[in-house]
Amino acid sequence: MILFFAGLGMLVAAVVTALVVRGDAMRDRVFATFVVAGASLASVPAFRVLGGATSLATRWPSGLPGGDWVIGIDPLSAVFLLAVLVVGAANAVYGAADMRAGANTSVSRQANTTYAVLVVVLALVVTAQSVMLFLCAWEMMAISSFLLIMTDHHQPQVRRAGFIYIVATHTGTLLLFVMFAVWSRGTADWSFASLAATRPTLMWGGGPLFLLALAGFGVKAGFVPLHFWLPSAHAASPSHVSAVMSGIVIKTGIYGLLRVVMLAGPPPAWWAWTVLLLGALSAVLGVLWALAQHDIKRLLAYHSVENIGIILIGMGLGALGTAYGHPILAILGYGAAVLHTVNHALFKALLFMSAGAVYRMTGTRNMEELGGIARRMPITFAAFLIGSIAIIGVPPLNGFVSEWLVYQGLFRAGYSPGALRIALLGAPVLALAGGLALACFAKAAGVVFLGRPRSDRPLAAREVGPAFLLPQLALAAICVAIGLLPALIVRPFLFIGATIGGQPQSQAAAAWAEVSPAAQSVAVFATGLLLVVVVIWAGRRFVLRRRSVRLDATWSCGYGATTSRMQYTASSFAAPLLSVFGPLTGVQEHRGATVFHSMPRDLILDRVVAPLWARVRRSALRLRPIQDGRLHFYLLYVVAAVLAFLTYLVVAP
Amino acid sequence: MNITTSAAFAFILVLLLAPAVAGVATRTKSALTGRQGAPALQLYFDLWKLVRRGAVFSETTTWIFRLAPVLVVATTLLAATVVPLDGRVSLIRFSGDWVAFAYVLGLGRFFLVLAALDTGSSFEGMGASREVTFASLVEVGLFLSFGTLGVVTHELSLSGMLGVPFARHWAANAPALVMISACLFALLLAECARVPVDDPATHLELTMVHEVMVLDHSGPDLALILYGSALKLAVLGAMVVSVLVPRANLSAAGSVAVLGGGLLAVGVGIGIVEATMARLRLPKVPLYLAGASSLALFSLILVLWNPA
Repeated sequence: MILFFAGLGMLVAAVVTALVVRGDAMRDRVFATFVVAGASLASVPAFRVLGGATSLATRWPSGLPGGDWVIGIDPLSAVFLLAVLVVGAANAVYGAADMRAGANTSVSRQANTTYAVLVVVLALVVTAQSVMLFLCAWEMMAISSFLLIMTDHHQPQVRRAGFIYIVATHTGTLLLFVMFAVWSRGTADWSFASLAATRPTLMWGGGPLFLLALAGFGVKAGFVPLHFWLPSAHAASPSHVSAVMSGIVIKTGIYGLLRVVMLAGPPPAWWAWTVLLLGALSAVLGVLWALAQHDIKRLLAYHSVENIGIILIGMGLGALGTAYGHPILAILGYGAAVLHTVNHALFKALLFMSAGAVYRMTGTRNMEELGGIARRMPITFAAFLIGSIAIIGVPPLNGFVSEWLVYQGLFRAGYSPGALRIALLGAPVLALAGGLALACFAKAAGVVFLGRPRSDRPLAAREVGPAFLLPQLALAAICVAIGLLPALIVRPFLFIGATIGGQPQSQAAAAWAEVSPAAQSVAVFATGLLLVVVVIWAGRRFVLRRRSVRLDATWSCGYGATTSRMQYTASSFAAPLLSVFGPLTGVQEHRGATVFHSMPRDLILDRVVAPLWARVRRSALRLRPIQDGRLHFYLLYVVAAVLAFLTYLVVAP
Repeated sequence: MNITTSAAFAFILVLLLAPAVAGVATRTKSALTGRQGAPALQLYFDLWKLVRRGAVFSETTTWIFRLAPVLVVATTLLAATVVPLDGRVSLIRFSGDWVAFAYVLGLGRFFLVLAALDTGSSFEGMGASREVTFASLVEVGLFLSFGTLGVVTHELSLSGMLGVPFARHWAANAPALVMISACLFALLLAECARVPVDDPATHLELTMVHEVMVLDHSGPDLALILYGSALKLAVLGAMVVSVLVPRANLSAAGSVAVLGGGLLAVGVGIGIVEATMARLRLPKVPLYLAGASSLALFSLILVLWNPA
């Protein structure tokens, strides 16, 4: 625990550095060093907890209502903490360089400061073990990420994105306040341990609390239909902030849900089915909407909605396993959900960084204006490609490992007795999402990096510096390692799954005994794939060695005067697939003799949230007369409120 | 891992026989439509010719374009290792290997699509766009089929789903398994760019999906792509054969022989379809794939509500 606090101290030192040190290059270097060192220190206890040491906890008297502050690291906290620290440190290095390359000193300094604060409070969010501390950290996370989103606040769309974000996140926080207030009523100290002890007295079996938690944490996690703040917030913020928002901040919603499930004990079946259904909905709609985007960062943002869906499918499976008394399913489901959370944090941060490097060099996020960047930024392209292969979940990278676990869980559910077997229908849904994800990233990687430049902007691009590339390569290396060595990685996640699902460790060991031969075979399969590729590549080189190899123009069926405008665009690439799904995609098409482009709209934000908000605003105006500026009326309201409260205290039992 | 000789033999047989399956389809088609037609072994001649040629690359392209053909063959080979080609057991088997099967083919497709976009050609972009459209719908039917087989057999690997004990499941689940076979065959036609989804015989670029994506490949690279496609056809064909013909009571040699015969029969089946049907209009293809998927969905519902 001391190492953890020392690490947090280093992170706070990074905050001070960003404020105090003069000289841009120097400051960024010291800042990045402090963040990386702090993250490394703080990750040591997390590794020890994951390695089988007992959970750690410290209790601090707070002197505030709501009891002592408890900070602790249990396996669930440990894995989220590691994700926070790894992605946080990588993005600190990247972000310092990126902000300095693009903005003036004051913006860069402010962004670094707020960023380091965000990393510290994220570490607190996942280690807080008492309600007040958790909510404080939660709120500081919301505010610091709001400030980071608003970095480019002179742009109107950034202010709009920030506004939608702050409204959404505070609505979510309110729900969490209600949930925790009701739950911790009657407990001595508001610590998580005493919440777990109040299980038997949960209101109406905990159903309303579960729905409150689902909505409150769901706004942060951003699953359909609560995702509406997410795409614009991710697109508006600086690239490293998008990376942390998408990789980590939205995952705190998942963390919160898992924590609630852990504390509330075995859930009734309908909780599990709700989560599974939301997951399936989110997975398909998220990727479908991603496919419709032409802003590369909005595309990645919508893709987070899809991955949150996959994580929820895993969680739903785990909950089903607990509800129907199927321990292996519980362990597999929760374990896969947490593993996919970590995987997504890694590859989504990587993708945002690569996309951000392209944005830094070309000044545009519009895919229709890009193209041909692979030749100009080869390492960035390689990083983006690795991220793409990981996110579409194909072997041999890490995305495959977690999706493979989810599928296994779905199939195991399929031949179980009773209603549980209906969960098998999640498999084709996940497969559809997988196929769409492939299309989506073929579009992203193909249109941005390959082909010919679609405008003048890509012509200026050249490879970014090591401060941009090293963090990407580090995350890419972890993605490859998890993909090739699933046997090492899956085991601790099964034990975490068992902890969340309330299963004894012996069950986790049994589940591991069942999964481990397959995990080793996956390693053989992935390595075999790489080997076969190398062998065929060598054979191809050998055959071509003595033949004529020449370069020429692209074959265009005999038509001579091709221009780069004749290439398929992002709009036209996605059009046939989107047309299959019709109005679900919310896309408007503009067709002309020489122009085809499509305009994506967010169905939930534009058709549901905005009209609803307008209606709330209109009816709120009717209340306006009560606030007419005369002080004695206000005093009257205060007296009336106090009277009402006192009456309640007297009348209530 | 316990590799049996019959699995190894079946694997080698599929590798060798793959180009002939498409040839048999062409022969059948030409016989039924009263034409001369290319010899059944034409693809072997083509491959041999292409391997000895040089290559022309578009100036627009990057290393992606050169890597894609290698990945197409490598991923198909790996996919073949988890299918019980001899109707008993595969070279590599593990629980959830059907995910690896479908997704590793996805990796190959991903690179093929990227290679098409790499050329910057409008035609190849068109083919790539159509390929991902149809492929994402194929996945649904494929996983519904695997789901049905999983529920029927209570197994988690393809070897378990399609392997030896499969014979007894026919008695209990014949209707579901017939529908699954039909679905898999329909998906095979779509996945391997055959009529009614795509026409391998036409070279009018605007009508094509798979062929138009590989317009720019030449020499050994084109050979790799052609061989990869043929191999994918053979592997999916072997899967259909494994559902239709349980080989529980056959000797190892017998089951490998059934595989050979079955693959040729699949070729004949494709030829019959191609001789009697026209290619669908492109907007109708999603309906065709949805139809195939709903066959699988019905069979899944059948077995979920009536577990063996």
